[in-house]
Amino acid sequence: MTIKSRHARFSAIAVVTALIFSASAVATPAQAAQKRLTIGFVVHVIGNPFIQQIIDAAQMAARDLNVKLIVTGPAGAEGDAQLTAVQNLAASGVDGIATSVPAASMVKGLNTIIKAGTPIVMFNGLGEGVNGPYVGEKSVESGRLLGKMVLDKIGGTTAKGGVIVGNCYPGFPVLENRQKGVLESLAKASGVKIIGPSDVKVDSAANFAAWQGLLAANPDALAMVGLCAPDVESIGKVNAAAKSKTIGGGYDLTTGNLEALANGTAHISLGQTPFVQGYLPVQVLVDSIRNKIKINKPGFLNSGTEIVTATSVIEPFGSKPLTFAALQKMSASKALTRKYYDPLVKSYIKDWQKNLKPISDESA
Amino acid sequence: MSEKVKSRRFKFPEEASVIFALLVLVGIVGAMRPTFLKPENLLNLAASYSISALLAGCIVYLLSMGEIDLSFGWILNLSAVVAGLAMIAGVPVWIAIIFGICAGGFMGAINGVLTVVMRLPLIIVTLGTASVYQGVSLISNKSGSVVPTEKKLTENIFFRVLGGDIETPIPFILIFVVFAFLVLHLTLHKTRFGYRILAIGSNPEAARLAGIPTKKIKILTCTLMGVVSGIGGILFLGFRGAVDPSTGANLLLPVVAAAIIGGTPLSGGAGTVWGSLVGALIVGVIGVGIVFLGIDAVWSTLVTGLVILFAIGVDQIVRVRKNRAS
Repeated sequence: MTIKSRHARFSAIAVVTALIFSASAVATPAQAAQKRLTIGFVVHVIGNPFIQQIIDAAQMAARDLNVKLIVTGPAGAEGDAQLTAVQNLAASGVDGIATSVPAASMVKGLNTIIKAGTPIVMFNGLGEGVNGPYVGEKSVESGRLLGKMVLDKIGGTTAKGGVIVGNCYPGFPVLENRQKGVLESLAKASGVKIIGPSDVKVDSAANFAAWQGLLAANPDALAMVGLCAPDVESIGKVNAAAKSKTIGGGYDLTTGNLEALANGTAHISLGQTPFVQGYLPVQVLVDSIRNKIKINKPGFLNSGTEIVTATSVIEPFGSKPLTFAALQKMSASKALTRKYYDPLVKSYIKDWQKNLKPISDESA
Repeated sequence: MSEKVKSRRFKFPEEASVIFALLVLVGIVGAMRPTFLKPENLLNLAASYSISALLAGCIVYLLSMGEIDLSFGWILNLSAVVAGLAMIAGVPVWIAIIFGICAGGFMGAINGVLTVVMRLPLIIVTLGTASVYQGVSLISNKSGSVVPTEKKLTENIFFRVLGGDIETPIPFILIFVVFAFLVLHLTLHKTRFGYRILAIGSNPEAARLAGIPTKKIKILTCTLMGVVSGIGGILFLGFRGAVDPSTGANLLLPVVAAAIIGGTPLSGGAGTVWGSLVGALIVGVIGVGIVFLGIDAVWSTLVTGLVILFAIGVDQIVRVRKNRAS
């Protein structure tokens, strides 16, 4: 191979890359003339509808607070790649970083960044030992609530039969906590046999296939309980395809999940208020940087739990009652979402310092 | 041209053009964001990508032989889990490290033996063994992270040096990986073992007829990949202080991309270990550059994919032209 062709080849790579970088950089919004705070926002997976709800809320917060938000994250959930993204943001000079923490291997690296002076707020996934506040649901308690609601639907403490439990990401601490809560509640019925917990995968196609297989293997199951965002929609589709009346319960209020509740193929979904999980970390970071408030120790900010069935919607923090139809409209509209949560932004979110609790509250 | 004149002509190293490309990329990102060029940032970038670079350096061996291993990420994971669990169980740290590396070598050997016995390409065999190793890892760690937290472990020099508690001008992990690259380069290009690998990759049938023990070399190369993946797992455990159920899950693309961008063809018969190091740094600079330039996450996947696709496409075009010329 001649030097000329190799040289040309790799020079071409460099030129094309430069063009792509330049085009992409030009494609992002121009920075304001005066220095604005820059906040990094790192999620554990790009392209997930629930995570996108969190990102949307973070972007709303950035607009409201006049800060620049850089959103990044690995294409596939992997802690090391995510930590590298956080480290890159810190090295690029952002003023603060909000990140989910899906992996214990991120903890050491995050604490190093905090020690070097960049504040970090966690959301959605808790990293035990990270010296920063965490915005999320009370995961064991929400699991207990879901388990109880499913149990009530299958006959209460006298229920007899199998309940399939699925975990899309075994080992993820928040999911393990939810699982613990669900199993605690289901254990109150001595006649209920737990089938699983099985790994039902995160990818929507693989998730559907996993639930389909589980129901086919256990056609007499009383209920299917998922712990992750894609589960309720998959359970609904599986029930519809098999013409089954198995009770379906799970998490998150994505458009697909709400549709499953609406058409009766799934029955319960608990939301973890993605608006709060996206908006509040940005608010905390901006306030702490502008007002020099130290946030370099563990703490818990509850994002609340939404309880949704086809006939009722219960929002946390005393928010205005919603009908199911209104909730469906909201899930498809950023403007409606922002408008609905405006009172919460002006109260619970703005007064986050009063609402900051010890980290032990997360798993109470 | 006379022989004397020919021998005096300066020969650029094979990796010169890819080093040039790396310098151009660094220069472009640095010109747009000068903070990128801070020495500590560049060293941290290199340290963050050093483990995937190490794996890329070894996968050159397999690519040179016309093979590819899909399981090395899970070998890395399970090796780290074995070492971590052993440490937590009270095994002395250095013994646990040897356990981890041996576990990696054993898994690599299994890949090699299966591919020879079943007479299947390594890619097919490792499609299965990848899931096996992942499964064993999940059973061993009960689907949770393995985190050695006891003080007597975290204060061991292994964790303190690799984890950065003892500060060195250059991160230790980087020093170690560069040394490993030297060994890998010399082994591939200066030993009989290395020549045999390249010969098998050029023409397996001719290599066999020439008396090269192709099956033995295949098994040894797979074992080497396992050992290096095991070393990668140990380095990860020391560097990050923990290993998660998903550690290693997404290493395949960046590692193979690094080797190919560095100049190792997929078709076999040739390979450049140092080139794969530069390739890994290019992949790293692309990832870091996206963040430094504030490119939105929605664009970043596209940008990364386009650059890698382009590199692979150019590699194919140049190789086809070379084949036509010869």
